[in-house]
Amino acid sequence: MKEDLMEIICCPLDKHDLDLDVTEREDGEIISGELVCTECGESFPIEDGIPNLLPPDMRDEAPA
Amino acid sequence: MSEETGDSDPTDDGGDRNDGGSGDRPSLADRRDVESVYQPAEDSDLLARTARERVASGDRVLDVGTGSGYVAAVLAEAGADAVGVDVSPLACRQAADNGVPVVRGDLVSPFRDGVFDLVTFNPPYLPTPQEREWDDWMEHALSGGEDGRRLVDPFLDTVERVLAPDGEALVLVSSLTDPGAVREYASDRDLVSERLASEKHPYEELVVLRFAAE
Repeated sequence: MKEDLMEIICCPLDKHDLDLDVTEREDGEIISGELVCTECGESFPIEDGIPNLLPPDMRDEAPA
Repeated sequence: MSEETGDSDPTDDGGDRNDGGSGDRPSLADRRDVESVYQPAEDSDLLARTARERVASGDRVLDVGTGSGYVAAVLAEAGADAVGVDVSPLACRQAADNGVPVVRGDLVSPFRDGVFDLVTFNPPYLPTPQEREWDDWMEHALSGGEDGRRLVDPFLDTVERVLAPDGEALVLVSSLTDPGAVREYASDRDLVSERLASEKHPYEELVVLRFAAE
């Protein structure tokens, strides 16, 4: 993801701001890291350049 | 090898698909066996064409259930600042590979209040008996639940929060999904609606509905 995505995303649970913690960056793209809600503290992973902002109870909900 | 034999087509395995004479839609039925991300078909195309006429350069656009990212990519090409969201990790990967900024998430839930000039949504809308659902990500992309509105209703419940003051949402619905019922549901949630475009196909009519705050 590009960093300017931060302007439009928020915590899916309480709509508060997210803090960005970058682990790996490549050519201006954030490849891996974490988004942490400034209010509830829930953490959301960025993996392979894609932020996963599913509510935690939906993260493992995959079709069989 | 001639086309008529049919044995050159890897998707034509004569499985239990309900594709008998489906006219304009054989592609949908076929893809269910060979793809796990919904690929653009007539519905995405109608939504993309309709939305494209309504975006101005620099507009912020969200494409919900972006799948391959097709609608978002068309709107980005028209100058919009387009982002996609999808619940499927496979769809997110494909949209990202197609150059669409994408977020994995549930409908509009991971986005801030009032940021989008336009939100587009081509929901799963095929009415599907419960016992046939949730087999895989492709089924998820096609199935709209018993009444075809499994995701349309929650979308209408939540979309207004992310719309800019003059923002609008465009939703592709099929005659199979009962557009009248969809508009009534929206009206109960203080959204005004309008038919923007429609296209007849052999077994259904595709309609683009516009929703905005009252």
